[in-house]
Amino acid sequence: MTGFACGETRRALASGLGAFAFAVSALAFLLLSGCSHATTAPAPGASGKGTVGYVIMDELVKKHPLYDQLARYDRSIEAFDLTATAPQVAATDPHLAERERELQKQLNDAADRTRKLIDQKQKQYQQQESAAIAAALRGAGAGGPSAAQIAGSVNATARQQQSSVASQAQRDLNAYRATLQKQDAAQMNAAQKALADRADRTYRAKAEELQSKQSALSLKMASEDAPQRLALRTKLTSLALDDAAREDAQKQLAAIDRKEADALAATRNRDQQTLIALQAQLKDQVQSDLNAQVAAIRKRSLGSLAQRQQSLTRQVSNLGGPVVRTTVVNGRVQQRVNNTLPPALQARIQQLHDDYQKRFQADAKTTIADFQKTRQDLGKRYAQLHGLDGASQAGAQAQILSLRKKREDLYGEITAQIDREVRLIAQQRGIAVVLTNIVAPAGGVDLTPDALKDIESLHE
Amino acid sequence: MNQLLARGRVVALAFALGAAILATPAIGANEVTDIGSLDQQALAALPQFQAANKQLNAYGASLQKQYLGRAQHASQSEQQRLAGEFQSRMADKQRQLFGPLFGRAQVAIASVASSKNLTVVVDKRIVVFGGQDITNNVKDLLTGVGDPVPPVTTPPPSKVGYVDQSAIDQTSKVKTATDEFLKFKQDQDKAAADKLKGAKTAADRDNILKDYRKTLDDQQNKTLKPVVDATRSAIGDVAKAKGLILVIDKGNIVFGGVDITKDVTDKLK
Repeated sequence: MTGFACGETRRALASGLGAFAFAVSALAFLLLSGCSHATTAPAPGASGKGTVGYVIMDELVKKHPLYDQLARYDRSIEAFDLTATAPQVAATDPHLAERERELQKQLNDAADRTRKLIDQKQKQYQQQESAAIAAALRGAGAGGPSAAQIAGSVNATARQQQSSVASQAQRDLNAYRATLQKQDAAQMNAAQKALADRADRTYRAKAEELQSKQSALSLKMASEDAPQRLALRTKLTSLALDDAAREDAQKQLAAIDRKEADALAATRNRDQQTLIALQAQLKDQVQSDLNAQVAAIRKRSLGSLAQRQQSLTRQVSNLGGPVVRTTVVNGRVQQRVNNTLPPALQARIQQLHDDYQKRFQADAKTTIADFQKTRQDLGKRYAQLHGLDGASQAGAQAQILSLRKKREDLYGEITAQIDREVRLIAQQRGIAVVLTNIVAPAGGVDLTPDALKDIESLHE
Repeated sequence: MNQLLARGRVVALAFALGAAILATPAIGANEVTDIGSLDQQALAALPQFQAANKQLNAYGASLQKQYLGRAQHASQSEQQRLAGEFQSRMADKQRQLFGPLFGRAQVAIASVASSKNLTVVVDKRIVVFGGQDITNNVKDLLTGVGDPVPPVTTPPPSKVGYVDQSAIDQTSKVKTATDEFLKFKQDQDKAAADKLKGAKTAADRDNILKDYRKTLDDQQNKTLKPVVDATRSAIGDVAKAKGLILVIDKGNIVFGGVDITKDVTDKLK
């Protein structure tokens, strides 16, 4: 893939602008600064008369000692592209949104059930209030059902209502538990993935850092030894060289190669040990972090569940008060205070009414607040999930950008070195101009084989 | 646009492959007339180009906003139509802003090339060694007082030819092969992406990528290579018939040179 991007973009621009041939090129430079390799200033006074040479840069790049590193960058970038991290990095996870919608629906359903429960409670409190008023009336000697009738009715109604509310509460609790379990599973998966990705990024970053240092070292040594190499090679091309001198020069060349190879191999071994240690450390760290996160998630869920359970238990137990038969007209419970009753009794009835109203309102408020808290809690958790996902995606994008930058820099280094080698060859062979990126070499001098030999000699 | 870029990439691959295969031993050194080079990045840094570029970027950002607003609730076909419309508007603006600047620059380049007896001026990025760098001369003319004066003589015939690869991409054989390969690649991309999602270790991932690349390479050799060979052969034949030494891509030509695109596309039909 090396070097193809330049031609690709150039052609895409060209097709878009047609007759503006120069416009194309001029626009291209605005966009292509990233993919051009370092060019070489021509030798002062270089004449245009002479021969034209060319090199096939892709072939030379592939033979360069640092090509493996370049290919690794390409593969990493390709992997990111394939997993669609790059183009879809900003996209929201559709499954996450779906889960959130599902959760919202469940919460809305639960809220509806809560409203129904409150309606039931309202009726219940009204019934209790009516019963208390009736008892007060009877205590005061007013007419009404017998104490035995009242007690029987109280017990039957209480059992029926308590059973109904308890069943509903249990269903709500089960649904809530299932929701929590789903969320926990999603959170744990997300946490595991995020931690693994983080560790993977850390490892790769370290590996790349070490690779870059190796590359830099290799390049540095090659550059430092270049004059000596060139001198030796030039010496070797001399026909007048006797056998002993030739052998000596060859030995010196081999010694330079060996020295560079040894230094690089030592560095590589050291880096390999570093990476192995890092890998073990990251593995432990991921496991430890994951355990902590899983424990936190479970603790939170158990807390929420216990809270919900307590709340529902309270609601159900609140139903266990004294209930009496009441008069319901058109679905509405009515309490009528006999205005012929003594003022003290009327005041007692009013007090009972206020008291039950207050208790009902407090109970209903608690139930509603409980649901609102639950909703907020779940909303927060999903927001956390989104955050986790977003952070992971942002990290991936930064990784891609970093990889591309490193690849670009490395490609620049490689081509700069190739340019230097080619320049030397051209000067030795009296070539006036050397071009690259050619489409067809109909008759120019191909310097690629010579340059290949020089590039290959840079290998350890 | 993406498809165009993708196609460009495939054909770029093809030509790169072609160029690599074409590394035949030199037939012999040929005498050449002068070849000049121009650092277009240096020209881009001139204030007038920077100002135009800034305006174009602002216009592009505004168009992008408008496009997103209109495309948000549009159908896929409507989105395509809108994309075409906005690209056309962007191209018009580009011509409006850069046209006069490029015209002036082209005259300056022709003037310098004529004074130095250059037959062709190429992009400096493809020059590894030698040639005459005319960047400073052109800059001087562009930043000097008054308009550059066009040369009175036409440039002498050049030994360097060029082809417009986007035109070659559109010939039926190349286009068919490219489309076929692109379709195959899309399927492979999707399959590989699915597999990568299930990869548990770095080794799994490396193996998937290795298979993916091999499959693509095989398919490339099967569908694209024959077309690349035919194109390479056609370009070589035309170049020899016209006595050219090298053929480069049109995108790398700044001035002069011999356009052999039509001869090549005719030969490919």
